[in-house]
Amino acid sequence: MFDGQDVMKKQRVIGFIIGALLWSLFLFGAGWMGRSLLSGAQASRRLPTITANPAANPILDEVWGHVRDNFVGNIPSDTVRNYAIVRGALSSLNDRWSVFIEPQPRAVEKEHMRGQFGGIGVNIQMDASGHIAMTPITDSPAQKAGILAGDILTGIDDYDLPAVPELNEVATRVRGTPGTPVRIRILRGSQKLEFVVQRANIDMPSTDWRIITDTVKPGFLVGYIGIHAFTERTGAEVKRALSELKQSGSQAYLIDLRENGGGLLNAAVDVTSLFVSDGVVLYERRHDQNDVAVPVNGDSAGSAYREPLTVLINGNSASASEIVAGALQDRGRGKLIGEKSFGKGSVQSIFDLSDGSSVHITSAKWLTPNHRTIDGTGLTPDIEVIRQVDEANQGKDSQLDRAIATLREQQ
Amino acid sequence: MMQAEPEKSSNNTLKNVLMGMAGVFIAILIFIVGITVGVSAANGFNFNGPTAFPEATDRTASIGEGTPVSSASGLNTALMNDVMSRLRSQWYGDIPANDKLTDGAIRGMVSSLGDPFTAYVEPQYAKILEQDMTSKFEGIGATLKSVTGGAIQIVRTFEGSPARNGGVQSGDLIDSVNGKKVTGLTTNEVAAMIRGTAGTTVTITLRRADHPKAFDIVLTRAAITIPLVTSKMVGDGTIAYISLYDFSQEAGNQLNAKLKELLAQNPKGLILDLRDNPGGYLSQAVDVGSIFLKKGVIVIERDTKGNEKTESTSGVGMAHDIPMVVLVNGGSASAAEIVAGAIQDYGRAKLIGETTFGKGSVQSPQSLPNGGQLRITIQHWYTPKNRGIHGTGIAPDYVVVRTPADELAGRDPQLDAGVDYLQTGKEPAPTAVPTVAPTPAN
Repeated sequence: MFDGQDVMKKQRVIGFIIGALLWSLFLFGAGWMGRSLLSGAQASRRLPTITANPAANPILDEVWGHVRDNFVGNIPSDTVRNYAIVRGALSSLNDRWSVFIEPQPRAVEKEHMRGQFGGIGVNIQMDASGHIAMTPITDSPAQKAGILAGDILTGIDDYDLPAVPELNEVATRVRGTPGTPVRIRILRGSQKLEFVVQRANIDMPSTDWRIITDTVKPGFLVGYIGIHAFTERTGAEVKRALSELKQSGSQAYLIDLRENGGGLLNAAVDVTSLFVSDGVVLYERRHDQNDVAVPVNGDSAGSAYREPLTVLINGNSASASEIVAGALQDRGRGKLIGEKSFGKGSVQSIFDLSDGSSVHITSAKWLTPNHRTIDGTGLTPDIEVIRQVDEANQGKDSQLDRAIATLREQQ
Repeated sequence: MMQAEPEKSSNNTLKNVLMGMAGVFIAILIFIVGITVGVSAANGFNFNGPTAFPEATDRTASIGEGTPVSSASGLNTALMNDVMSRLRSQWYGDIPANDKLTDGAIRGMVSSLGDPFTAYVEPQYAKILEQDMTSKFEGIGATLKSVTGGAIQIVRTFEGSPARNGGVQSGDLIDSVNGKKVTGLTTNEVAAMIRGTAGTTVTITLRRADHPKAFDIVLTRAAITIPLVTSKMVGDGTIAYISLYDFSQEAGNQLNAKLKELLAQNPKGLILDLRDNPGGYLSQAVDVGSIFLKKGVIVIERDTKGNEKTESTSGVGMAHDIPMVVLVNGGSASAAEIVAGAIQDYGRAKLIGETTFGKGSVQSPQSLPNGGQLRITIQHWYTPKNRGIHGTGIAPDYVVVRTPADELAGRDPQLDAGVDYLQTGKEPAPTAVPTVAPTPAN
């Protein structure tokens, strides 16, 4: 009954969401959502079930009365209690992906999904002694204001950093609405300095790309695209990457989805559509309904890249990553190389609630074009290559090497 | 409500105050199974069997009677309404029944207090819990525990019980009850299936290591009293040993009865074993303490409003003077710590073993109209010398460690040290650094 008016507000997540607690800790790489229209058909689906509002049950009042009269500890605020009630009611669904997100982590979540936030453009890092060292991003407001790499953060506005600060707390205080000022207090050597920095929109790119020159076959150029998350900007970024890589002479492409925990459903469709001209990317299965095909993005129909393609996956490639990898595998567009993927085959819808909090609800399962479900099992790579523990230290990447070799063989 | 009527017979009040056992703490983490008798990691949950509600000893229900509950507005029903409407239109699965959602909401609300001992016990578990606290129920007389892989295993059977007489053995795995598979169910759920009115039958399908196939045993349920005490003569028959599993309603009675038999044998000394005793009723701590301590304050209770109350031993007990040691360890919690703490404060006996659990709070159970139970931490308690032990536990007078290897080999250095101390008066040599007791968050 609410679907009609929620079409614009509604966002769908296909993210790799751990839950509200961990949620706020993610700086990058967690839950993502996509805007997408509802299929409208389920408006009256659950009408036969008359479900009462658990918060309106008088027993809650009674329980709280006992607590207030007798409990020997501190009584939490109404807000804390109400959030706990919602969380508790949701826990009866027994679904780890259906969760309640409080307003502040929700704001952070939105920024991640947008791939942009209001901030000053510094990376922060805590050293062993608990000092927070800053590194400004090139051309960021922080750099323009004069903050240097290695400056130690001591205070934000009137807030003094404690001996061992929490990175999340610090990041939240530095961030804010673009255009507003924030006073940054630092220690540079023994010098105490203070900067007033105007916050701006800071981009969080989700993709990086480069040309890899094959060391075996002279002149063979592979376009490498690493996708770290599926945000609102990912489709456009991958499109730009492909265009630049092609201009630079790429004869084949390699998409790296390792450690990519997922994100927006629509971004997964956008990316897949750059390599498959038509047909199905995935099927969605809602409660008591037939599977609904989600086709490739109409914009890119017929304009997909046709060069050889391989896709790198591993155990942390989840959700939206698995949609892309599963579609490319089923459609025979590219071989999957690496390790078995995470196996998250459900879709969450995210609803913003009146007070800035939000609720994630598992609204569908998704299946690959060949109607495979991957929930709990993951995708099996066409060519399994296990990354050895010490590879990173040795500057090696056996999975990448194998992906390039596979592309070379297809030449 | 307890503060509202401080003058009321403290005995009545006491009966209704639980010392929330450490077992509950463990249980809450798993699934709010609540207080059970003899809960310990090693023994598993003591859900033996009975089911119905034979004696209707619904004492806890009376606590709330006539107590005005202050209105607790501030509930954001609009927020929940919004969430519910989204669920109804979007949720992939089946929407849980109203009472399940309400259970979840209450659980969530109570969890916002951040106190692991303040808990909501769902209606289906509240009954079993109350039965266990009475130590009486109707069932087959066996203790169950969950084992890896979601199976339910028989830990032990009680002497003379239908389970023991019918051939059920320790270590048997329960496959099904009355034809219904139990894989993946909690011990509570399985206990509820097994319990039933005395005289009726229940069919248990068991798997046993040396049997190729699962087999059925048909048992006739009976009224069971859970044995809370075991005893033996040790040290060549010179020392009486008595172990108390918990402080449920029959603890004092059963301890007294067994002690009488033991003292008739004129032992030179007495060992009271409170190891892995997770606690129980405050009233039972007073009753048990009275057996060993002369008249005096045994525990001081304080709430946040500054109210202070003391409980005193009765002055009547059969073991006030016999030389004694008390065995404790990290599983000795709550009511067990009250008794051990008072005995230590008065110098009545030496404590031997390891630092105790450290649960210094008191819970009051409250029956709810839906059949569930709310357990609220209402007080903190202190030893007669005003020591707070919450989060720290009680350090024994003599630290003697029993390692897992000792247990596996059937060795009991703590008991040996107790016997030796009583026989020779020699202080036990410390065996190792004491293990760290778990710290309850509160």
